[in-house]
Amino acid sequence: MSSLSISNVNKIFRSSNRGQVHAVRDLSMRIDDGQIMALLGSSGCGKSSTLRMIAGFESVTSGEIRVGEKLINRLEPAARNVAMAFEAYALYPPLTVEKNIAFALLRNKESAAVIKRKVAEIAQRLEITDLLQRYPTGLSGGQQQRVSLARALIRPADLYLLDEPMSQLEPQLRATLRGRIKEYLVEHQLTTVFVTHDQTEAIAMADRIAVMDGGVLQQYGTPRELEDEPANLFVASFIGEPPMNLLAGSVADSADGLALDIHGEGEPIRLHMPQGVHSDAMHRELATDRQVTVGIRAHRMLVGEQPAGAASAGDFVARVTSNQWLGDQSHIGLDINGNRIFLVTENPLDAHTGDQVRLHWPVEHLHVFDSKSTNALFHGGVPRSSAATRTPQTSEALGA
Amino acid sequence: MSYLQISNLSKSLGRAEVIRGLDLAMDHGEFLVVFGPSGCGKTTLLRLIAGVIKADGGEVAIAGESMAEVEPEHRGVAMAFQSFALYPHFSAFENIASPLRADGLAEREVKQRVQEVAGMLRITNVLDHMPKELSNGQKQRTSLARSLIRRPRVLLLDDPLRNVDAKLRYEMRIELPEVLRQFETTVLYVTQDFKEAMALGDRVAVMLDGAIRQVDRPANIYRRPADLDVARLFGDPPMNLIPTRPQRHNGGGITVRLGESVLDAPGCPERLLDRECVVGIRPEDVHFLDSREGDCLPVRLEAVMPLNVRTAMLVTAPGALELTSSAWDIREARDEENDTAVRIDLNGAVYFDPDSGQRVQ
Repeated sequence: MSSLSISNVNKIFRSSNRGQVHAVRDLSMRIDDGQIMALLGSSGCGKSSTLRMIAGFESVTSGEIRVGEKLINRLEPAARNVAMAFEAYALYPPLTVEKNIAFALLRNKESAAVIKRKVAEIAQRLEITDLLQRYPTGLSGGQQQRVSLARALIRPADLYLLDEPMSQLEPQLRATLRGRIKEYLVEHQLTTVFVTHDQTEAIAMADRIAVMDGGVLQQYGTPRELEDEPANLFVASFIGEPPMNLLAGSVADSADGLALDIHGEGEPIRLHMPQGVHSDAMHRELATDRQVTVGIRAHRMLVGEQPAGAASAGDFVARVTSNQWLGDQSHIGLDINGNRIFLVTENPLDAHTGDQVRLHWPVEHLHVFDSKSTNALFHGGVPRSSAATRTPQTSEALGA
Repeated sequence: MSYLQISNLSKSLGRAEVIRGLDLAMDHGEFLVVFGPSGCGKTTLLRLIAGVIKADGGEVAIAGESMAEVEPEHRGVAMAFQSFALYPHFSAFENIASPLRADGLAEREVKQRVQEVAGMLRITNVLDHMPKELSNGQKQRTSLARSLIRRPRVLLLDDPLRNVDAKLRYEMRIELPEVLRQFETTVLYVTQDFKEAMALGDRVAVMLDGAIRQVDRPANIYRRPADLDVARLFGDPPMNLIPTRPQRHNGGGITVRLGESVLDAPGCPERLLDRECVVGIRPEDVHFLDSREGDCLPVRLEAVMPLNVRTAMLVTAPGALELTSSAWDIREARDEENDTAVRIDLNGAVYFDPDSGQRVQ
């Protein structure tokens, strides 16, 4: 097992009829030994190309990929000592599921007893124990995917590469296996890179997440950093269910410092930055009338009376448009000023469509983005530049 | 008499019995979600209601009238699918109007009806766009408008949000019930995503192996699943299901053994005493403690999984007991420490017969 570092990697596809496609641009990031990295984004964002370059299925146009100290760019896939679970990486039809999983171990001449124990352990975790004596033909897509995953995870390697490892599984099984797979990776200290388009899966499983869009790394950080300090509007709206509430606004002067106006129907809603550190810092950065986007996460708004201790940027009345209890949380649709926002609360909220609720927006959970560049300016009233010093990988990756 | 009444319906496809004596009743204007894993027969059920295939036995009735002899086009049933299935060479307007054109309606009437539906679905401004110019959300609504244009008595939606991105799926989950309420049509919505089922349905029917296992309000299914299969399917992270044997504690209350710990089980039915059963505990009823105190289970934290607003934690307790705990926004504090303790709140626990799988009351 080893660390993985990717430095200034580019991938340019050239085709005779469509010219060049710059699939991955100047990508740099690393994970330490035993950590789990997610490559997250929509289709065409460059995440799969990145994984395929690490695996050796695609050449690297420029840049370096290292596993530990070893440069692997130019090695054949088989010489890289990486274990892979790829969709196209088929199972061997003449072998039973058990033999498929054990394949690499058999080749390594491990003892039969050890192999049996290891196969039984991984099979139990992935809920395929009942399938061990069957053959791949006739298994469902989800079953085949779990066998392929078991085969990759069981063999010793420096690095584990998983391409949408749970895409074929039903939502329920996916929820169960997420935890089991993560536990296995952590327990065995396996350095892992997995590709997913599902932000829930990335957040649940990864130590670090690379959010990609259009071949460009948007942010590289821990799940917490992506949630609390999204680098730009893309990340803010990609991470989280529901995504962050984002509202168009502008900067205004007010008698006691600084204000943010949220635009909508009728009079704008005014958020006040309390005098002191927040408004001073913002004042230095923000010119009056600057167009900004104000963001707040759905579960960071407070309902009802203002709680003691939390500095509020403002309270206002919102109209309930929907209210859904999901068993362990409530999701409430609200209308403020003609804008639709979402609120999530831990306990059921006794409110019906058309009712009014009072909301507080704590300053510490307020995000301000530049509407034009889409980059973050402030998180919790703190300029992004100083927030970023706490997360060097983030600022480095963004280069903004 | 219910508006849509399905009685003892059965259907085999080849040698497989896909629908097995299925009963389901819906009120007029109701939004009912049929939730079940793939292969449970959901789509076959919709096709039987629409009349595209014939049942082997049993009956579908709408507004008191048996549909046995009624052709699909006369049932007043419309169906919309996972794929939007729009005609690529028609504008959004013509796509929506196509069922009316087939009926030979006058141009003025067609225009008026399309405008009306488009207004309710908020796609009036894209009616002259071609499908390729529409966003996925607009395609979704256009497809929905087309299925609503004939004012169906019953609208069947087959997992319509399956192929849209997460953001749109979330928004539609909130909006769809609102939007569809305006049409006052009876909606049967099929999904394999339990969150969608919980969010959308006034009532949810859980379907497994070709039959309905439970019909209830979503919150009731969540707290009191009818059997072990429903319990396993409903919830993310899923319910903890632990084999145990309730005992009388020194002549007092009932206790259950979980791993190596013995806990008071206030809601445990008397008749389970000294019998093998399975206790079901929701992850949010497994609470992390700051220190090992009182009635707690010492545990080892195996994996931490942030899940949007909540965090799921996989722990193991002495006696090889694997438990999932879920808590509101506490991620950071738990990452560091490995050995900690949980308190299990058994007040909301449910109990199942391990042989029949049924919940014991």
